[in-house]
Amino acid sequence: MTVSDYFLPRSLPEALDLIGTHGPELLVMAGGTVAMPLINDGLSLPRAVMGLRRTGLDRVAQLDGWLHVGATATLTQLQEQRAVPLLSEAASATASWSVRNMGTVGGNLFTPPPGGDIAVALLALDTNVTLAGPKGERTLPLADFFTGFMTTSLTDDELVTALSVPLPSGSTAYTKFGRKQGNTPAVVTVAVRLTWDADRIVDARIALGAVGPHPIRARAAERGLLGTTLDPDARAAAATAATAECEPFTDAIATDWYRRRMVGVVVARTLEKLAAGATREDR
Amino acid sequence: MASSIVAFELGDREVEVVVRPLTTLQSVLRNQVGAMATKEGCRQGGCGSCTVLVDGEPMLSCLLPVEDVAGRRVTSVESITPPEGLHPIQEAFVEGNAFQCGYCTPGMVMVAKALLDHEPDPTHEMIAEALIGNVCRCTGYQPIIAAIGAAAGALQGSKRAPER
Amino acid sequence: MSPNLTVVGQSVDRSDRIGHVTGRTQFTADRTFPGMLHLRMVRSPVHHARINGIDMSAAERVPGFVRALTAADVPHNRYTILSLIGVEPEEEFVLAEERVRFKGEAIVAIVAETEAAALEAVARVRLDLEELPAVFDVEEALLPDAPIVTHWGNNTFMYEGHPCRRVRLGDVDAAFAQADHIVEGVYNTSPIEQAPIETTGCIAVPEANGRYTVYTNTQALYFSLDNTAIILQLPGNRLHFLGGTVGGGFGGKVDVIVEPIATLAAMKTNRPVRFVYSRSEEMQVSSTRSAWRIYVRDGVMNDGRIIARKVTSYADSGAYSRQTPYSLTKHAANVAGPYAIPNVSIDAYCVYTNRQPSSAMRGFGVTMGSFAIEVQMDKIAEVVGVDPWTIRFLNAYRNGDTRPHRKLAEDATLIETMQAAAALVGHDLPDAFRSMTSAPRGDSETGGR
Repeated sequence: MTVSDYFLPRSLPEALDLIGTHGPELLVMAGGTVAMPLINDGLSLPRAVMGLRRTGLDRVAQLDGWLHVGATATLTQLQEQRAVPLLSEAASATASWSVRNMGTVGGNLFTPPPGGDIAVALLALDTNVTLAGPKGERTLPLADFFTGFMTTSLTDDELVTALSVPLPSGSTAYTKFGRKQGNTPAVVTVAVRLTWDADRIVDARIALGAVGPHPIRARAAERGLLGTTLDPDARAAAATAATAECEPFTDAIATDWYRRRMVGVVVARTLEKLAAGATREDR
Repeated sequence: MASSIVAFELGDREVEVVVRPLTTLQSVLRNQVGAMATKEGCRQGGCGSCTVLVDGEPMLSCLLPVEDVAGRRVTSVESITPPEGLHPIQEAFVEGNAFQCGYCTPGMVMVAKALLDHEPDPTHEMIAEALIGNVCRCTGYQPIIAAIGAAAGALQGSKRAPER
Repeated sequence: MSPNLTVVGQSVDRSDRIGHVTGRTQFTADRTFPGMLHLRMVRSPVHHARINGIDMSAAERVPGFVRALTAADVPHNRYTILSLIGVEPEEEFVLAEERVRFKGEAIVAIVAETEAAALEAVARVRLDLEELPAVFDVEEALLPDAPIVTHWGNNTFMYEGHPCRRVRLGDVDAAFAQADHIVEGVYNTSPIEQAPIETTGCIAVPEANGRYTVYTNTQALYFSLDNTAIILQLPGNRLHFLGGTVGGGFGGKVDVIVEPIATLAAMKTNRPVRFVYSRSEEMQVSSTRSAWRIYVRDGVMNDGRIIARKVTSYADSGAYSRQTPYSLTKHAANVAGPYAIPNVSIDAYCVYTNRQPSSAMRGFGVTMGSFAIEVQMDKIAEVVGVDPWTIRFLNAYRNGDTRPHRKLAEDATLIETMQAAAALVGHDLPDAFRSMTSAPRGDSETGGR
């Protein structure tokens, strides 16, 4: 690859202008942890590249009952915030210290499967994603953002600018299962958020990663938990339902067979953590 | 294809280079500045042998366009090596025989430096966690973790037996 | 101990310790030269194909492109690591000729001003390939209708006219008929990549006096120099090979694979040429430890003595044999194990498939055999109803025993090693085992061995 131009815009409007000028040929990268390996190996040969590190989209702030995470906030920033423990956990389970210092929350929405482990946690938290384009900003639920395999509803002239998580984040648990203990792609990732009324579950979110074309919600499993006390039978039922709902794939990390087997196990383990009282906030 | 001038601090000196667009910091250090201590093991962000510090935080120079570090402070192994003798971390690696082929060592030393700057008294688990992005194919990691523990002790001014 | 000893019994500083911790140790690629060019390889994207054409027009137009080398440019386009010691046949190519036999096989060497330009030029080379059926399993490769990988018509390396390495001692069939138990197992292993942190690489530099200095991280400096001389048809004294500190090898840097083509490129351009494997090449192209399939059939008596062992082993050599035939020889010599078995039959095949060629890695040929027979020993122990220590002490070889390959055992130490291991883990051995030694058996003990 012989890159003719590398842009480092200083603001969102400047970045959008560059997209407007150069169109979809412009390769956009934030942390570079996905794009640079491909460029270094000659698998990606862009003429023009834009980096987002200087655009100022990296603020993490609590406001009006939401945690707003700028799209270029690093995974280290996410790890260090205390408002949403689930996101801190997810960041800690992702990559390595150096990669977390470089990789971004927004970028994690686009990491090739089975990446996107932060996205799984965001999905379980009813996160909204904000997109900015020449016509202005729009916000939509993250659940509606993923449209297919490696495709999203982001249009060619837009950028992801922020992810917003409603607070408090509730009773949550996260398990990333890989072939190594750390710095490893996922075989299965599970993020769960439960809302309780006394000892009964009144709302549930189960998000799964690396077992579908993008992070998915196991909605049947979620519905099955409603009204239960998260007893062993309820947990087993949720694990079974989640197994049926997922669409695992085969790659160099794991076969579809193994992923399907492990979804149930990891969902069960994650629900067990919650039953044992991990991260419980009552509101 | 327009080259540009990028200036950054490398240790205690100012560096100015002329680069083609999207040249990595790794390439600049090794091919233009003559600072070969930062190694090249994968160019994928997977091995950690290219680790440098940017404003004190560990990053992988193989994935970092040098333009992104303009005006910032980069620290490499050369930067922490004193004119005479060794940095206590380097001393601890020598004492503890914490290397075999030596290729991963610069990356390990830089992560150790960052860790001990952030956390002067790390546990065995904290050290292992900090090193999770650095691959060694020779030692099995235990001598490296022990050496970093010993370095922590030395830097705090107290002698501590290396943890196993 | 003599007080004059200054090294033995002392802690001695490694001479490279300062270099390693300061990053000043000079590894092969820690060098730049004025005018240095970068070599990147066009490789087969498919497992098995006929090459009908190569179109380099688009590649040549990439700014920074300098030169492309194909098979026609290589003076002696045969790459046979051990040709110097008479190992035949010459079956592999520096750059592919009419066929490619594995995904990743080298076809065109592109030389350019920068790494980036070389990568782009590689991407723009158009290959006209006609795919052929491919085979990926050692036993499938030996079926009558299997795609043939080699140029001599069958998929095994030939050992003096035989399709496998053979070891015969006694009569296994007669012994099986007498045995109380037959214990069988099939053991499969996967290819393993050595994965040194420093990838394979070299820099070839033309000198003013007509020689070439080649800085290389090969584990086999003389193999590399001599093979380069043969491939380039140069007298050896035109080559100056410089090794030094290798950033991990483990057998992954004995294949002499980058120096000949890099030196050729330096000859053709009269400029230094750098050829360092990317991590993808190191993982997916460079040779690995072979995958093995090992069938073991043992005839065992009720008391645990193994009276017959029949082993049929298949090593997946991949598309080219490299060091694997040597691996099979070692395997055949060792796979009966450190045990005294009076009837042994071993057939060990070096099989060609369209997978990535396998070669050397730490104990190649023997380590995988060890895995197979030690699991097999535990199986036998279960069948016979004894513990794993017992089955091994009972069958352990001694000095003077006839080995399956007919040589007499010398320096046998299995018994002593097991005794030391038992002591280390606090396992109490029965007296009979604790007092055993590897000394040659007395006449009273000969009993069929």
